[in-house]
Amino acid sequence: MDFLANLAPHLVNGITLGLLFALIALGFMLIVGVMEVINLAHGSLFALGAYVAMTIIGIEPQWFGPLGEWYAALPAGLRYSFALVLAPILVGLVGMLLEFCLRGTYGKDPLFGLLLTFGAAMVIEELIRIIWGSGEQVLQTPPAISGAFIWNGLIWSSYRFFAAGFSVLAIVMVWLFLERTPYGAIIKAGAHDSEMVRALGINLSRLRLYVFGFGVALAALAGIIMAPIWGLRPHVGVDAVIPAFLIIALGGVGSFGGAVVAGVLVGLTVGITGAYASEWSLMSMYILLIAVISFRARGLFGKKSVLEN
Amino acid sequence: MNTNTGVAAWITRPMLITFALLVSLPLWIESVGLYQYLGVEIVIWMVFALGFNLLLGYTGLPAFGHGAYFGIGAYAFGLSQLHLAESLWLGIFCAMFFAALGGAMVATFLSHRRGIYYALLTIAFGQVFWFLSIKWHRLTGGEDGLLNIPRPDLDLGFVSISLASNQALFYFVLLLFVLVVIGLWRLIHSPFGTVIKAIKQNEMRTAFIGYNVWLYKWLVFTLSASIAGLAGGMFAMAQESAYPDVMSLHASGFVVMMVLIGGGMVSFWGPVIGAAVYFLARDLLGAATETWLLWYGLMFMAVIMFKPEGIAGAWQGLVKRRKESARVEKKPFTG
Repeated sequence: MDFLANLAPHLVNGITLGLLFALIALGFMLIVGVMEVINLAHGSLFALGAYVAMTIIGIEPQWFGPLGEWYAALPAGLRYSFALVLAPILVGLVGMLLEFCLRGTYGKDPLFGLLLTFGAAMVIEELIRIIWGSGEQVLQTPPAISGAFIWNGLIWSSYRFFAAGFSVLAIVMVWLFLERTPYGAIIKAGAHDSEMVRALGINLSRLRLYVFGFGVALAALAGIIMAPIWGLRPHVGVDAVIPAFLIIALGGVGSFGGAVVAGVLVGLTVGITGAYASEWSLMSMYILLIAVISFRARGLFGKKSVLEN
Repeated sequence: MNTNTGVAAWITRPMLITFALLVSLPLWIESVGLYQYLGVEIVIWMVFALGFNLLLGYTGLPAFGHGAYFGIGAYAFGLSQLHLAESLWLGIFCAMFFAALGGAMVATFLSHRRGIYYALLTIAFGQVFWFLSIKWHRLTGGEDGLLNIPRPDLDLGFVSISLASNQALFYFVLLLFVLVVIGLWRLIHSPFGTVIKAIKQNEMRTAFIGYNVWLYKWLVFTLSASIAGLAGGMFAMAQESAYPDVMSLHASGFVVMMVLIGGGMVSFWGPVIGAAVYFLARDLLGAATETWLLWYGLMFMAVIMFKPEGIAGAWQGLVKRRKESARVEKKPFTG
């Protein structure tokens, strides 16, 4: 029992991390599915989301006159929730702009899409440096979800529980959206065979625009939730986008459930190795991937994808 | 990629022009406001990009973690000089051998993959090596890397030449560059080269004809990794240090960018042009603004959007159009 009690906090941390990874990976996978683009800018947009949210929370009263004063007087929790809604929308718009640039690459070698987004990642990271500086920043969380509590003789961080709960909520919402609405059905069909969707009379370019915006908004949302855990640096995106790749490869391209399972699996692996050999905790997920890929070529739940050709 | 010329020449005109330009580089580089060391750096990355293009441009394999093998080469060179013996040939051998070994190991996992899984796995493996270089303190010196790597003399048996000056080092690096260029040119125009180009066009058909596609992909990756290792070893010698930065996702991305901007997808010389453009952009833009990566990134995006064949592709298009218009003018007027 003692062993389990020692491990419990690491398991909680691991699951929280895994759920957030899954959230990033979901947006990434929607984009891969519908656009057949490996979005290397996903991580930078993740970071951008957190920076934008930080600015929205910390708006100075003098910026917008009386409106700004009224806003600054609002309780911190309300401002935080406001940022949680507005920042992903703004970053989603940036994503739509990026999709617009990507249009020329559809139907060509998938490498071009990947490289265009790599260039975009550089540009976004530099923009973050120019606007917010290179130093480490802090995203303020409202008092209701920060702090710690003692339970069973152990100290637990409240924020981790909030982050885990919020990620579960977001993942369930995305799942409901994809499985229970006609829009979700179109997106899934688009991921399966985009030419057929167009033949059925659906505006494919508009679908791509919205899906890209949506996927990127999910990354931004994950960025806001992750920022208090990881801290906020301009290049924090790389730490987020790499696990997302791994999760996609591990869960299988195109499998929604696979991404969630793989996300939690990766999170747990990182959490548990963190308990015993914290130096190597991030390394363990690569080992996990290599182990799984050696036996199951397309990941845990992967099906054959058009992208392999 | 002119494939219909039958047997290719050992030395071609573009090769001579490139070599002549590079050989004379130390004479004029300072008078255009640059410095000797830049030449060393450019030629090293040209070697790296040329080796990488074997994989990307000729076999069509989207590898995205190639900085790892460059880094392995750099560390192997440094470690062999610091712990084994101070010898140039030993260092170069170790750099190529260990990078090839790492590449061969990774290629064993990779070679039956295609497309997106190939890209994802190369990224994952690249990150594994990057991570090892940071965390394996005792071997690699952690984030600081290996410092004070000596620049051994070039020992030819009968004479020993010091490479301490950047100019001497430049000519040594250039010599290796020439060997790599000629070697790769021959390889690409050999039966082996024809098979890898076939794999790029249609992997399945190539397999149906009876070629062992897995083996070819494995060989190309290993070879490409060993050239990356050679470049990495030279880089460690030039920098007199080896550090994890060169293995990061960014460094891997830069080499892909060089190949693409230069036009590696359509021309043998693409990577060479791309490497030169990258370093010139870094130094010229970098002198003008601190945020040169922003402008370079935007330039790169513009190239992908409007001219994905890169500089070499634009040049080929231009030459073709001029030839065509010349032909139209020569035609007798029949009206």
